Amino acid sequence: MAEPILAIRGLRAGYPGNVVLKGLDLAVPEGRITAIVGPNGHGKSTLLRAISGLVRIEAGEIALRGKRIDGRRPDQIVEDGVIQLPQGDLLFPSMTVQENLLMGAYRKAAAADVDTRLGKVFDIFPKLKERRGQVAGTLSGGERRMCGIGRGLMAGGDVLMLDEPSLGLAPIVIDQIYEVIFDLRRRGQTILLVEENAQRIAEHADMIHLLDNGRFAWSGLGPDLLARPEILETYLGA
Amino acid sequence: MTDVLIQIVASGLTLGAMYAVATVGLSLVYGSLNMLNMAHGAVLTLGGYVCYAAMTLAGLPAVLAFAVAAAVCAAAGLAIYFAAALPLLRSGNFETNIFIATIGIGSVIENLMLKTFGPYPIPQPLAVPGHLIVGGVHIPYQNLFILGVALALMAAVAVLLQRTRTGRAIRATSMNRDAAQLMGVRVGKVYAQVLALSGALAAVSGIMISSIATLTPVMGGDPMLKAFIVCVVAGLGNVYGAVVAAILLGLIEAGTQYVFGVRWSFAILLLIVIVVLIWRPYGLFGRQQVVRL
Repeated sequence: MAEPILAIRGLRAGYPGNVVLKGLDLAVPEGRITAIVGPNGHGKSTLLRAISGLVRIEAGEIALRGKRIDGRRPDQIVEDGVIQLPQGDLLFPSMTVQENLLMGAYRKAAAADVDTRLGKVFDIFPKLKERRGQVAGTLSGGERRMCGIGRGLMAGGDVLMLDEPSLGLAPIVIDQIYEVIFDLRRRGQTILLVEENAQRIAEHADMIHLLDNGRFAWSGLGPDLLARPEILETYLGA
Repeated sequence: MTDVLIQIVASGLTLGAMYAVATVGLSLVYGSLNMLNMAHGAVLTLGGYVCYAAMTLAGLPAVLAFAVAAAVCAAAGLAIYFAAALPLLRSGNFETNIFIATIGIGSVIENLMLKTFGPYPIPQPLAVPGHLIVGGVHIPYQNLFILGVALALMAAVAVLLQRTRTGRAIRATSMNRDAAQLMGVRVGKVYAQVLALSGALAAVSGIMISSIATLTPVMGGDPMLKAFIVCVVAGLGNVYGAVVAAILLGLIEAGTQYVFGVRWSFAILLLIVIVVLIWRPYGLFGRQQVVRL
């Protein structure tokens, strides 16, 4: 396999007095979907927050295209091209949809052709174009998620990290959101995805890593996980 | 009767405009850093004195003195960020610590003014002579000047916040710090910008207030208190609400001063604040959220 775009070695990270990630190795291949699955509270979000520089790293290293990014400020990591779409969207509630999207293109690399990017996001989510002037705090759950994903796409990062994009949505909306994500993959976008529900993405994910208590308990190809009911049973209670 | 009304509205708007300029800085800083800057009143005093010193001691023209005062106070705001806010942000309990630290900083600035310029009131040389007569009421040009400057500044701040990339970053940081960082906003820079801007606004408000009263080392106390009241009534951190609330409170203060006498105006102001907070604990324009202090 080619050199991974994002490589993590021996990552230990967490919060004061509580080490959540206990020595993780992860290789994210370019242009693929890498999925992290596992039960709640085992460090999935902490992993993404550590990559984004929002959580202090105690040991280990994170490299983007061979260049260390651990220890850099969150804004520098965004400039480097690693974009996180946080859990629960974290939209800017008093800003309009359009202003939220413009914030997505805040990084210097994206600021130049904002209009083209805005047009592309509106093509993917026509609903957002309708609602561009509406204050984000008044959107419905599904629209909020579209706005959150649209905002992340505005940044045009090399690695897109999504933290539970299906959280709290109706099944039909989840399908729409995942359709967009799989389509991005088809166009060569590198995606690192955190998902609680393994079955939902096992088929489509190129690589799956099962995170249990701060370590990877199982790693392999997506479809292979579906062939291992005992693992699903043990770790995910499915 | 109409002249009384014109009089009340004219002085109420002037008061409100001064409160608004004093409040916007306080509100911006609270909104983005969750920092109650207790040195705001002292920075305002500093601005008034720097303008005075630049005009009478250094002989600068008024416009330049105005700019020098704004620049010095912006630098004071930056100094507060680097010397107090930045180190305290790294430790826990920021909101309480910075509150206490800025009380100390304010006290230092005030005493520096006392040492340098003495305790006696000094007239502010930046004054616009003459007056306008509207319906038999004399309205000093000074008041109109204050109103004009305040409106221009508020408009400039609004354009900055709404229309520029920097302004959007400031608003984003105040709404959700983590999310702003994930967009690539360097929050440390935003904090520094906000404190500098707040310092410059404090300078302008100090010059305006001292131009209709006088310069004293403790002159910042009253506008700081009023600015704080305006902030609470509007909802802490809500900048636009603060402007509206400042002008409303200015008008109410002018009105009560006329009807009940000057000594009642502050008591009535506080009474109104109490009623507002019982009715809407998160302020007139505040979002429903609990603010811990």
